Amino acid sequence: MSIERNKRKPFPWVKTAVAAVVVGALIVLGAQVFERQLHPESAGIAPAARVPGAEFPTDTFKGKDVPQPINYSHKLHAGDLGINCLYCHTYARRSKVAGIPPTAKCMGCHTVVGTDKPEIEKLTQMWQSNQSPAWNKVNDVPDFVHFSHERHLQKFLFDNPEMDIKNAPDVCAMCHGDMNQVGVAKKMKPLTMGFCIRCHENNQGPSDCTRCHK
Amino acid sequence: MSSLLGNIFKGWSDYSKGNEEGGHHNYEHMYAMVIDLDKCTGCNACSTACYAENNLATVGEEYFGARQAMHWMRIERYFDEPNLEKAGSEADADTQSHGASFLPMMCQHCNAAPCEPVCPVAATYHTPDGLNAQIYNRCIGSRYCANNCPFRVRYFNFYDHQETAWPAPMEQQLNPDISVRSKGVMEKCTFCIQRTRAASNTAKNEGRAIRDGEIQTACQQTCPTSAILFGDLLDETSAVHQAWKRHQVQLGRYTQNKENPELRGYRIFEELNVDTKVLYLERVREV
Amino acid sequence: MSKTKINRRNFLKVLGLGGAGAALAGCDMPSYVTLEEGEEKIYSYLAPEEYVIPGVGVWYASTCLQCPAACGTHGRVREGRVLKLEGNPNTAVNAGKLCQMGQAALQAHFNPDRITEPLINGQPASWDDALALINEKATKNVAWMTGAISGHQRVLLDAHLAATGKGRHYAVETINARAWTDAGKAVLSDAMPTLHLDKAEAVLSLGADMLGTWISPVTFMGQYGQFRAAPRGVLMAVEPAMSLTGANADQWVAAKPGTEAAVALGVGHLLMTKHGLSLNSMPNATSAFQSMTPARVQDIAGVSEAALNKIADTLASRKPSLVVANASHAAARVAMALNIMLGNVGKTLTPGASIVADPLAPIMGSTKDLAEFAQNADAGKIDAVFITGANPAFIAPQGLNMAAALKAVGFKVALATCHDETTKVCDVVLPLSSALEDWGTHVPAYGGKPGVVHLQQPLMEPLHAETRGLGDILLTLGKSAGVDGLEAFEDYYGYLRTAVSAMIGSEQEGDWQRVLQAGQFEAPAQDHAFSTGSDVALGFSENADAGLHLVTVARQGLYDGRHANSSWLQEAPDQITKAVWDSWAEMHPKTAADFGLKDGDYVSLTTQGGAITTRIFTYKGVHPKAVCVPMGRGHTDYGRWASNGVNPLTIVDAHLGDWQSSEVLATATPVKISAVGENRHLVRLMDTDQQHGRKLVATISAQQFGRTQGGA
Repeated sequence: MSIERNKRKPFPWVKTAVAAVVVGALIVLGAQVFERQLHPESAGIAPAARVPGAEFPTDTFKGKDVPQPINYSHKLHAGDLGINCLYCHTYARRSKVAGIPPTAKCMGCHTVVGTDKPEIEKLTQMWQSNQSPAWNKVNDVPDFVHFSHERHLQKFLFDNPEMDIKNAPDVCAMCHGDMNQVGVAKKMKPLTMGFCIRCHENNQGPSDCTRCHK
Repeated sequence: MSSLLGNIFKGWSDYSKGNEEGGHHNYEHMYAMVIDLDKCTGCNACSTACYAENNLATVGEEYFGARQAMHWMRIERYFDEPNLEKAGSEADADTQSHGASFLPMMCQHCNAAPCEPVCPVAATYHTPDGLNAQIYNRCIGSRYCANNCPFRVRYFNFYDHQETAWPAPMEQQLNPDISVRSKGVMEKCTFCIQRTRAASNTAKNEGRAIRDGEIQTACQQTCPTSAILFGDLLDETSAVHQAWKRHQVQLGRYTQNKENPELRGYRIFEELNVDTKVLYLERVREV
Repeated sequence: MSKTKINRRNFLKVLGLGGAGAALAGCDMPSYVTLEEGEEKIYSYLAPEEYVIPGVGVWYASTCLQCPAACGTHGRVREGRVLKLEGNPNTAVNAGKLCQMGQAALQAHFNPDRITEPLINGQPASWDDALALINEKATKNVAWMTGAISGHQRVLLDAHLAATGKGRHYAVETINARAWTDAGKAVLSDAMPTLHLDKAEAVLSLGADMLGTWISPVTFMGQYGQFRAAPRGVLMAVEPAMSLTGANADQWVAAKPGTEAAVALGVGHLLMTKHGLSLNSMPNATSAFQSMTPARVQDIAGVSEAALNKIADTLASRKPSLVVANASHAAARVAMALNIMLGNVGKTLTPGASIVADPLAPIMGSTKDLAEFAQNADAGKIDAVFITGANPAFIAPQGLNMAAALKAVGFKVALATCHDETTKVCDVVLPLSSALEDWGTHVPAYGGKPGVVHLQQPLMEPLHAETRGLGDILLTLGKSAGVDGLEAFEDYYGYLRTAVSAMIGSEQEGDWQRVLQAGQFEAPAQDHAFSTGSDVALGFSENADAGLHLVTVARQGLYDGRHANSSWLQEAPDQITKAVWDSWAEMHPKTAADFGLKDGDYVSLTTQGGAITTRIFTYKGVHPKAVCVPMGRGHTDYGRWASNGVNPLTIVDAHLGDWQSSEVLATATPVKISAVGENRHLVRLMDTDQQHGRKLVATISAQQFGRTQGGA
């Protein structure tokens, strides 16, 4: 019955803190691993430097099939025919939005090319009746995200001395994946905030919230 | 992972540097305003321009009366002139013998903003431009920031006003460069950040610095008497910098050390040490 | 047994702390949570102009039509929608600035309650049917009622009138500068002299709300900024109730309603007797000045000798000065005489200039035309009337019997963007394109470079398929009426383009584009002939009634009520009282106390013309003998946001008025008030008028300002 027995042990703060950090780190790393389990392609193996001077984001996403009014095939135009992204999505170099090309651009070729194909006939019909196609937006971010194509193209393409405009598809692939592999457009990158932030961190992009959220 | 830690260290370093006199050192810009209260006629054009530019919702009489309106820029009107020594007797004491004093009040973008440290989710913070930013999608609506603001310039969306404020086709007027806020989110004057970003974008494309006068906030652009001046304090050629210098008002102080104390530049509630960035020029009265 | 055995208590604590680490992974949502994918639509362009880039705004120049001033605007257009208006930096009228009414022009355009199709007797009809009916009924004794009008719209309107039996054009504006322009014409032979507020050292305003609603407020506000710069000018205002100009005055003097002319005469008296000025070229004025002693002024107007002396001393010691007035014809004439006596002519008051092409010149409008319309309609002289840009059923005092007069006109056609009290009683209603969807030319009445013509162009495609522009309708009507030379034009755009090309002396596309870019072009102008000091009778007569008088003022915002259908302007606090969304009657606290009333009490205000009920607002910015109910509210049929408040215009006495011109809106209508026993708090931006010891708006003396040059 000595006094020692009633003496309270001090709470082991240091040991608890260390344990907390270890558990926390395990949870964080575990989440990353779990994430990468779903996408073995993005298991940290960077492809060959597609955009010189930049670190290429490697995440991928299994996008769903989004129906469109015209079954436009990127594989045919951008892939087989080798048309540069910026030929159609011209606005990307000057605006926040890359834009869907105006029908006039399509008709530039399709008044003479492939006029017997059913999709072209559909398109021509819309063109002649002054009807805008109602495209369904595949690569979309929420309304409170203000993304600027112009700034990203300037950084990775136009202001990048090692890049030539004919390699624009490599820059676009950073966020849109290899569009020359798909038919109708599909979302191929997660476009989550984490995706954007990681690329910003890796490529010295701004970290100020108001750059994108205003 | 390493860049995450790198960011944490950089943030800490910026923060601790910020406590030195004069404020943060790594600012790219320090946007500030000068408002000449002698030129302000109280016409309210600035307030309406702000409604048009920033997708502000009108709330109607009932909510306005409950102090739930959204006027980011408001014009206050006072009839007393406490700082002025009145000479002689007030012959017409029965009726007003002089006009009113108008005060355009909006977010002062304090460098030591009391609203910033209290946000539980860091939805409001100080940008490298010197602006007090409000990130709508991060805000969870605790309203602690509005509680702390001594100027009462933070406005909370207690309700969704979208149906009543923008019945079709009025939603077509909404500015796509600025988010439309929904219920539960705090909002306030942003010094027209969308215009600032647009100007930096243009300047960056052209490979040059932003010129003074290139960014005009909506209120400044429409003010018929040109009472509002907006610009970058860090740009020594800017009109705003010159004005602050002329009136001998410095950032980072809660009481100014003017050589000529009669100069009329002052900041509201300066003694609270919130380091506001709107310099007001005292109203003048012919006595 | 370890000292740090993890037991249940500790385990939960550890987990709590460690769980924070998991939040770091929060920026990456698990990938099975999708963001929007295929949810929103994009409508691509078909064949846009090359300068149209989605996401980037294009700016077009146009003209604001929210008030008669016709300021130039720049409209920001994105993806085919106009989003924002700013002032056109190149138009001298407003020099890149825009008032709140101009900003709210967007709401006038996007208003959800717009008329979208023609109506015949309230029933939807086709344009063909409506026009056919018009051709049938509007063939002779046709009249047009418009607001202020100028430019080529006026030309077509005049042509239509000429072709349909030479009927009359009634130009109606509740808020007008008739008193001033008539005085200018009489005394200086110049109805619209140019005023240089920026050069003045002192300004006295007798009911001329230069900063608010008088003639061209944005022009004057631009000059005001320079007026206040060192050396600082002094502003004095004399009026029965505080206007925006009065609210910025260094010296504000409350005068009994209708007595401003007496005050001006008293000032002249002191200038002559105390400061040795003379006005030999105008003996009538001189004798009027001499007989109006300060004691008499005190008696008539309730203005003290001290206040009067202060005004006179200021004007005498600060040169050059400027005296402006709009309170009454007499006051305006006295103001002109004072300007001559003070030597302001040639300095702050110089000859104006007008466009040589007279058919385009602006008609500014008055309430005299409103009264004469009612008279002529009643007398059966008008068989058919076209009404656009005016709302007579709302603005006419009951004493004019406008309802009966309108009924007496057999066939009424309204051209309007929104339904209002007038369209409700018209036989045919034609849906008008808004000002942002239409073409036009406008000659500003004041403030522009001499001879400038402002261009109005559409800032987007019409919102509603069936609306038509004013010019287009005038062109169609003109063709049907057989006006010469219109057949060649398919639409008003074609007509305007040809007319403007002729005026600029070029048909080149490039020159036309330059005009569109600038938003204006200059046509030949001539200076007004100017004579100083025609010795006219001043027309001053004393107001004998000692009781309470109703005055109604216009505040920049709702104006004469035309902007009551704008939610921004309804929610914009009134500049003086800071009240929103409802009407009020301004009253001096002493007057209220005499009647046993307190703030928020509802009272019935009864005049010879009728009665309205509203709550009182007490403050010292109103003369004890005045009750001021600002106009603008009290609509009964003007859309979802305008159904509040009361309309003081209805009870203004239509039979009073200056002897010279029978302007309907007299400055003083005798009124009786009685409490109705209800009290409700008036919703205001702020419920206090005092700073309560805080340094919010600090004020310094002019001497201190002078010592520091304002910090310049």
